[in-house]
Amino acid sequence: MSTEPEDVTPQGDAVIPAQRVEEPDLPAAGPALLEVEDLKVHFPIRRGVVVERTVGHVRAVDGVSLSVTQGGTYGLVGESGCGKTTFGRAVLRLEEPTAGRVTLGGDDVTALKGERLRRFRSRMQMVFQDPLGSLNPRHNVDMLLAEPLKVHGVGSKEERRRLAVETLDAVGLPKTVLERFPHEFSGGQRQRLGIARALMLRPDLIVCDEPVSALDVSIQAQVMNLLDEIQGEFGLTYLVIAHDLAVVRHLSDRVGVMYLGRLVEEADSETIYEHPRHPYTKALLSAVPQPDPEKEAARERIILKGDLPSPANPPSGCRFRTRCPWAQDVCAEQEPEWREAAPGHKVACHFDL
Amino acid sequence: MALLEVEDLRVAFGNATAVDGVSFSVEEGRIVGLVGESGCGKSVTSLAVMGLLPKGRGGRRAKAPEPVQAAAAEPAPGAVKAAAAAPQAVPAGGGRRSRGGADVSGRAVFDGTDLLALTPAAMRRRRGKDLAMVFQDPLSSLNPVVPIGRQITEVLERHRGLKGAKANQEAASLLDRVGIPDPVRRLKEYPHQLSGGMRQRVLIAIAVACAPRLLIADEPTTALDVTIQAQILELLKDLVEDEGTALLMITHDLGVVAGMCDEVNVLYSGRVVESAPVRELFARPTHPYTVGLLGSIPKLDLPIHEPLTPIRGSIADVIRWKDGCAFAPRCDRVAEACVDGEPPLIGSAHAHRCVRAEEVA
Repeated sequence: MSTEPEDVTPQGDAVIPAQRVEEPDLPAAGPALLEVEDLKVHFPIRRGVVVERTVGHVRAVDGVSLSVTQGGTYGLVGESGCGKTTFGRAVLRLEEPTAGRVTLGGDDVTALKGERLRRFRSRMQMVFQDPLGSLNPRHNVDMLLAEPLKVHGVGSKEERRRLAVETLDAVGLPKTVLERFPHEFSGGQRQRLGIARALMLRPDLIVCDEPVSALDVSIQAQVMNLLDEIQGEFGLTYLVIAHDLAVVRHLSDRVGVMYLGRLVEEADSETIYEHPRHPYTKALLSAVPQPDPEKEAARERIILKGDLPSPANPPSGCRFRTRCPWAQDVCAEQEPEWREAAPGHKVACHFDL
Repeated sequence: MALLEVEDLRVAFGNATAVDGVSFSVEEGRIVGLVGESGCGKSVTSLAVMGLLPKGRGGRRAKAPEPVQAAAAEPAPGAVKAAAAAPQAVPAGGGRRSRGGADVSGRAVFDGTDLLALTPAAMRRRRGKDLAMVFQDPLSSLNPVVPIGRQITEVLERHRGLKGAKANQEAASLLDRVGIPDPVRRLKEYPHQLSGGMRQRVLIAIAVACAPRLLIADEPTTALDVTIQAQILELLKDLVEDEGTALLMITHDLGVVAGMCDEVNVLYSGRVVESAPVRELFARPTHPYTVGLLGSIPKLDLPIHEPLTPIRGSIADVIRWKDGCAFAPRCDRVAEACVDGEPPLIGSAHAHRCVRAEEVA
């Protein structure tokens, strides 16, 4: 993938609005493959013994819009409970959206039903966090990889096997594993299988939900490199969902930060890490421990107070205000608009921090 | 003399050796890290020190000379065999077999007393008082049907003889100490009513209730979000600074190590492969495993999309330490010398277990 030339000097003081010249970034220039408009997923909270009534809604995803360019990688970060996984599942229609529109290559995913939706699913696949939990323990690799092809009626038995071998090769597994079962593999190999299965139908979009968080550090790196390699090889577009900012930064061209069901900031991955504008992004970045004692000693930490508020009853105005070190009165009264603070850099904050 | 000196600690579960001769020490008021990936033996080490492992039939205090080295057959010289997932065989001495239990040997000298030689009753009197532990998963380490106040006063009653209102008062001040707002009300709450970060604070409150001289924290922030992790790490640091407690920090996260620890021991396959003061370790990592770990981590200041340099293979690719370096099957710089017998720990202040460190540096 394209690596932007590093001619942007990092600004020491982040409070001053960065006077940087926007270079034409290549990924953003391409056409969008995935477009999400104002997506909402609300889960009803039901109470009552005999007659169930809906007493409220958990607003897991509460109006998120984003677009992912063809062949690009969009990284969605946030802490547990921010709605990032629900968002990813709603994009694939694994969760029914309450409102909003999702289009993949111009086709409206949210409008599809029944058989047409089922067929459409071959174009979008998912890689799950827990590779053991997402692979059927009673199926050997051959069956696991052939299943998506069978479901979609692709190829003959021989062709399916040829495709399986080809895909295994792409994820770095020998074809001798075809007869083996998931429990015979290590965690890293299982994740390779999970990726191979997602690749079998040669999809356009792969949603990776915490693809490396269950793996040991040395194995994480292997899988991240693999994701990068196969992206070019198979012309994939990724939506990567993760809580680890370093992982997301490494994999993505564009990064969105989610908090309590909303995006709070979105920019190119280089920009967001060098010039974070939203207080939550700043706090998140400052909280990541760096494997370097010198930097650790110098790292300015913004320690957020308290915990995530309930998504059933989000705070008024800006959702982050209850934990924001810079919160003012206006933050409680008005919801900050989702504005473009600099070209290609969107933020939902009243202030220019 | 350090507060805790662990010498040649070995733990075996039946035929599987989890800890294979680990030695390190923790000085008063210092934070010492035990780092490694899953299966390296870091948690088992801490449980052995705390006397929390189920007893094997071979006895926890197997003082007999190690039968391990002598009994096993001589390896074919230079044979690098990736014994895939095969646990390292330890013939239990004299035909003693343990089922499910752990055979612990070696020494863990805490303030002049070998903890491994204490009777279970004597260990119980010390555990929670002189040395305490914070676990990774606060929800499963707290009793779900007992209010948290009661879980704190239990320790106070047992080790400090506090009862009733006095104990409650002390419990509230402990909760306050670990940064839980409105502590008096919280005392009556149950673990499920608290968030993950709060629960971890409660565990820390219980651990520090008797002002222990040594605190062992086993992955204390792994289950937590990054902003909450920052809060908990800050709290642990404050406790060490204020009380002069020694902290043994067990983690897989080199970022946490860099920010917290004074000294670091890197574990691989049940042994310390490198041990150094924290700055020294990150500035001059010497063992190829440490180098590999550092190269595997995506960093916030690396160029985007630059491939990481992972360690090849997995921890299942291992040879027995007495045959050579257990890391050899995954090492890029492996040579004949690496699989020619047990690699010694070289150096003292910055020690490593790589026979080729001089050549490859």
